[in-house]
Amino acid sequence: MNANLAERFAELPHLLSGHVLLSMSAILVGLAISLPLGIHAAGRPRLAGVVLNAASVVQTIPGLALLALMVPLLGGTIGYAPAFLALMLYSILPILRNTIVGLQGVDPVVREAARGIGMTPGQRLRQVELPLALPVIVAGLRTAVVWVVGAATLATPVGASSLGNYIFAGLQTRNWLSVLFGCLFAAGLAIILDQMIRLLEVAARDRRRGLAMGVGVSLAMLIMVSVAPRFIAFERAGEGGPVIAGDAADLADETIIVGAKAFTEQYILGALLETRLEAAGARVDRRDNLGSTIAFDALRTGEIDVYIDYSGTIWATVMNRPEPIHRHAMLAEMTGWLWAEHGILALGGLGFENAYGFAMARDRAETLGVTSLADLAPLAAGMSVGGDAEVFTRPEWVMTRDRYGLGVMQTRAMDAAFMYGAVRDGQVDMISAYTTDGRIAAFDLVVLEDPAAVLPPYDAVILLSPEAAANPALVAVLADLVGAIDDAMMREANRQVDLDRRTPDQAAQWLANEMEAGGADR
Amino acid sequence: MSSGTSPVLDIRAVRKTYDGGVEAVRDVSLELDAGQLLVLAGASGCGKTTLLKMINRLEEPSGGSILFKGEDIATLDGVALRRRIGWVMQGDGLFPHMSVRRNVGLIPRLSGQDPARAELRVREMLDLVRLNPSEYGDRMPDELSGGQRQRVGFARALAGSPELVLMDEPFSALDPITRDALQQDFKILQAELGFAAVMVTHDMAEALIMAQEVAVMREGQIVQQGTPQALMSQPTDDYVSGLLETPRRQMRAIAELAG
Repeated sequence: MNANLAERFAELPHLLSGHVLLSMSAILVGLAISLPLGIHAAGRPRLAGVVLNAASVVQTIPGLALLALMVPLLGGTIGYAPAFLALMLYSILPILRNTIVGLQGVDPVVREAARGIGMTPGQRLRQVELPLALPVIVAGLRTAVVWVVGAATLATPVGASSLGNYIFAGLQTRNWLSVLFGCLFAAGLAIILDQMIRLLEVAARDRRRGLAMGVGVSLAMLIMVSVAPRFIAFERAGEGGPVIAGDAADLADETIIVGAKAFTEQYILGALLETRLEAAGARVDRRDNLGSTIAFDALRTGEIDVYIDYSGTIWATVMNRPEPIHRHAMLAEMTGWLWAEHGILALGGLGFENAYGFAMARDRAETLGVTSLADLAPLAAGMSVGGDAEVFTRPEWVMTRDRYGLGVMQTRAMDAAFMYGAVRDGQVDMISAYTTDGRIAAFDLVVLEDPAAVLPPYDAVILLSPEAAANPALVAVLADLVGAIDDAMMREANRQVDLDRRTPDQAAQWLANEMEAGGADR
Repeated sequence: MSSGTSPVLDIRAVRKTYDGGVEAVRDVSLELDAGQLLVLAGASGCGKTTLLKMINRLEEPSGGSILFKGEDIATLDGVALRRRIGWVMQGDGLFPHMSVRRNVGLIPRLSGQDPARAELRVREMLDLVRLNPSEYGDRMPDELSGGQRQRVGFARALAGSPELVLMDEPFSALDPITRDALQQDFKILQAELGFAAVMVTHDMAEALIMAQEVAVMREGQIVQQGTPQALMSQPTDDYVSGLLETPRRQMRAIAELAG
């Protein structure tokens, strides 16, 4: 078994248990709400119309948006709670609709016979109407299970671990095996659960106690076995990294939650933080693949203890400052603002800048005679610019567009994993690039100059939640990282993952070794 | 209390007006003695089914009163009342997800009889309606013919030993030969068990053959009530004569064939 596959399997207990726990609890609570509601509404056509419409509106919200909306709705809470709430709402419609339709579809003659021979309303419901509507209701439940188990992969960006971690992380690091792994396990889980429910229905219909018992026991076993890792503390072996003598016991028995956004550099830095903290004796809980503002909100509310963000991002999207200022002034002002407003400690810069820049393929840029964003205005009509979903709504693009007159350019949103290849292959003329991305050099791209200094500086900074900021041992461990990584090191680490297909853990290990070597040199 | 002499069913000036002012039943009074079969006849929409459903409180009267064995049914619990009164409907109304045995045993079980006694009752009932319990007990309704299903319907209605059975067009979905067999069996059954029955039908020939007493309804009112012989000899108006015309013509035609 190759290393990639072995690593995927190693993650499986944690991710599968998260996925099963999340989707099963969402379905159970969804069922507990929608079944009684459906029964209540079935005999009341007006109420049935109202609840079905409400549930349909929820259903039209795209899954990812519904999950993301739950985070601000819960006051910035990330992780299990918003994911559970969104998926639970998602499971309601199919069960509710089929309960109402199933009960309304019971033959009126049979309904009247039940009344006529003297059954109470409760007996009619339990012994006649529900059994006759059961196939329709179960069909709704099966739809809900397939939907929810599938949609639970989208819980990753709001900080709940699920099989979606394989997909999101794999997409960002172009690890297609990981993407496939996540898809296969999520689909397999959905199919198995769907078939088990079908068998339970057959058992109920044919009154086959043995079959019902068998399926029920296997279902319970499946859920218990997959959820078990969640409740059994298992030791994660320290994955190497320089152990700093003296610090080893400083964070003993503390659990530190490390956040990371959804791109390669963040996975590497997350892994680096993890190694450092574990070397100091801490237990580390990783929350990868957080949306950009979700990560900040999570830090503010103490859902995560530490993550790496970029000064220009905080400046524009959190502080809402319209104009960028000089790099060091920005860092200082941001640090003061975060501390005063939120009690968040900006511990310091890692030493490199990962700026937004706009990049073109070198030969294309040379053919057009373009070296700077200022050269583009006359050529902009008919050109296209690619970027990740986020960039076109960010002030960086809006200001660049307006300052350099690029409004006529066609914007094409795509996943960050694809944009470098897209500009290399001429599918778009320009992309929004991250300046530390290893593919800029590897694909022979040029980053256009920004003579008007519209694009803010993006120093990578270590941010600590108010609670974490009050922990001197934690601050001491992380302070070692300040100024430890330069642009070239970060670009090389990113390149190793994006192009050499090494894992973020391996790249973090490389960074740690480089830092140690650099430290010895100094 | 002399329940022996009072009628099983005593309907007094009952009315039913639906929301919107439609008068389905107007001022109907009827009496029914133990062991008798009363047929409510008339064209569809004449109010006969509404009247039937008011007897076991599937519908509530807008006025008047109905006494069952001397008690005003408005003072009785609807569910308890319906368990004391058999109910047979058009197209059998069997529960498609229950076996014959469970359908027939439903009322005894719901009334809290122990399973062994309920099972005994099921076998007894199926024997009564001429279905072999060991052959038919475990079949599902869709594995039976129309006639067999209706026999199960009768068995279910009679399983609670009712003193009154209400029947809404019980034979109308059956082919003529099956219908005739079931009608004859029903008369034997009634004579044997001694229950009173009210049957709704739009088939005058069926009414004349089966009933001790026929009430012809039109637009919510009884236009004539009497024995089949009285109806045949002295129809009160053209409406009743019209309803009797079809069976008369059939009888004449058959008599001519016989020579």
